[in-house]
Amino acid sequence: MNNILETKKLYHDFDGLQVLFDVNLQIRKGECHAVIGPNGAGKTTLFNVITGTYKPSKGKVFFKGADVTGKSPCDLCRMGIGRSFQITTTFSRLTTFQNIRLGILSKKGVRFNFFTRVDKMEDITRETDELLRRINLIGERNFPVSALSYGKHRALEISLAMSTDPDLVLLDEFAAGMSRDETHNAVELIKKMTQGKTVVLIEHDMDVVFSLADRITVLHRGQILAVGTPQEIRQNQEVKDAYLGDLEVSAVC
Amino acid sequence: MIDKMKRWLPWAALIIALAFVPKIFGIYYMNFFITFAVFAVFSVSLNLLLGYTGLLSFGHAMYFGAGGYGTALALKYIWNLPLLPALSIGILSAVLLALIVCPLVVRVGGTAFAMMHMAFAQLLYVIALKSRFITGGEDGLANFRIPPFSIPGVVSFPLEGAPANFYYFAIIVLGASLWLMWFFTKTPFGQIQVGIRDNAKRIDYLGFKVTHAKAVVYIVSAAFAGVAGSVYAMFQNVVAPDGYLGLLVSFTPIINTMLGGIASFFGPVWGTAIYALIEEIIFRYTDRVELVIGIIFVLVIMYAPLGFSGLMLKLKFKWMMFKNKRMRQAA
Repeated sequence: MNNILETKKLYHDFDGLQVLFDVNLQIRKGECHAVIGPNGAGKTTLFNVITGTYKPSKGKVFFKGADVTGKSPCDLCRMGIGRSFQITTTFSRLTTFQNIRLGILSKKGVRFNFFTRVDKMEDITRETDELLRRINLIGERNFPVSALSYGKHRALEISLAMSTDPDLVLLDEFAAGMSRDETHNAVELIKKMTQGKTVVLIEHDMDVVFSLADRITVLHRGQILAVGTPQEIRQNQEVKDAYLGDLEVSAVC
Repeated sequence: MIDKMKRWLPWAALIIALAFVPKIFGIYYMNFFITFAVFAVFSVSLNLLLGYTGLLSFGHAMYFGAGGYGTALALKYIWNLPLLPALSIGILSAVLLALIVCPLVVRVGGTAFAMMHMAFAQLLYVIALKSRFITGGEDGLANFRIPPFSIPGVVSFPLEGAPANFYYFAIIVLGASLWLMWFFTKTPFGQIQVGIRDNAKRIDYLGFKVTHAKAVVYIVSAAFAGVAGSVYAMFQNVVAPDGYLGLLVSFTPIINTMLGGIASFFGPVWGTAIYALIEEIIFRYTDRVELVIGIIFVLVIMYAPLGFSGLMLKLKFKWMMFKNKRMRQAA
């Protein structure tokens, strides 16, 4: 069993508007897999169906060989799926430290604990600080998140997805709106943080896609157009027509 | 050692000050302080929902009323019931009611949550009004026995007709409730709670069950509203629909909380004090207290949305900036 995540004949529609048609996605264990495609191709919907935001209209999702179709985000997180969002979704009135601590609490299974003060749980504090150091946010430890710069805020968003130590991380346009430097830092962060993990990412920045991804799936109008290595995708004529265009491909090559 | 003493000193001073309140203000003002203590507990319990979890309830009176009626009925029909069981019965009735309602209300938020509570509270109000054989209808229940505040075999203070004693009891309840609720917000669960307020979706994606967590907060909040109602029933020696389940009872803690500041734990306590003071002063000039409170409420919402504690924080910040500037100028 080397497919960690698999979707079989996945369909999804919003009240009649078909968004996903017969999507058979296969993610191998340990790879970095990019999902690309034009706007409205159904990339985020695919993520939402996989992580339990929506129930698919038809089809099944398998994670680590088990059928997880229609399970709640909460259950999926406990099984080992982490997810970041395109629109930054952090706890804006808490500090950076408190944000990450929530992830660590979840990872440690500390949920309905009413008898200890969370500030006095030293193992939690230590682990949170360790993670903050790894993601270079230790300097902003006690800042409220709303005071962070955009790049740092996005870095926190990504780290929050990984704070529960998931086996599979889904990153939805993590570089959206970032400057070149910020994107570079984020790519480095992801390379560092996802060692030994499986990553699925949605991305529009082709530099990022080609520098991170081992394999690429091209989604077009809710259907899978092509699957392959970056090299294969670059040379695929259908993909060029639908998405990459000739100019961009020659620039990338 | 000295550090520890320094930390405890303000608390010790506060306790001593509170102990001398009956001596300083006299018996007449005990009512004022007891009402303050009851509504402070009630308001902080509401703020567990409003400020900490982001749920606005227009019907928190139902738990206040449940506590009040629970205790009153228990004292009326159970002979020689001691104080703590009477209080516990009040709390339990509030918790029981919350257990019945919560599977329905924790699934919604925002306006639906607020309006559903108004509906439930009004329903309870009508039930209390109509079931005369249990609740005494509009007249309510009155003249039940108030048990003494006692440690069996050691000491016993009568609470009936002894306002100073009741004041001490109310202050102890206030202190204990505040400490328990404060601790509750500091536990890992308290963190999940503020997480839900900021971003319920992310809490879900981090592997916490949002509805379960909401339900727990809801029940805890109801329990403390029950404490307040129960003590209030023993203090007034009467429970009636208007004073315990009416709309105004639901809105008083909301106003208290907004006046004091929803962003701070002790905000609602400040707010209750401010509300009580304003009420006390306005009553000397006019009966239309709600009119004045309403105007103040609007002003607070418009110009100080974080209430009294928000203002204090702002002042503190300004003062620090000022000091910084002076220091820089000196250097």
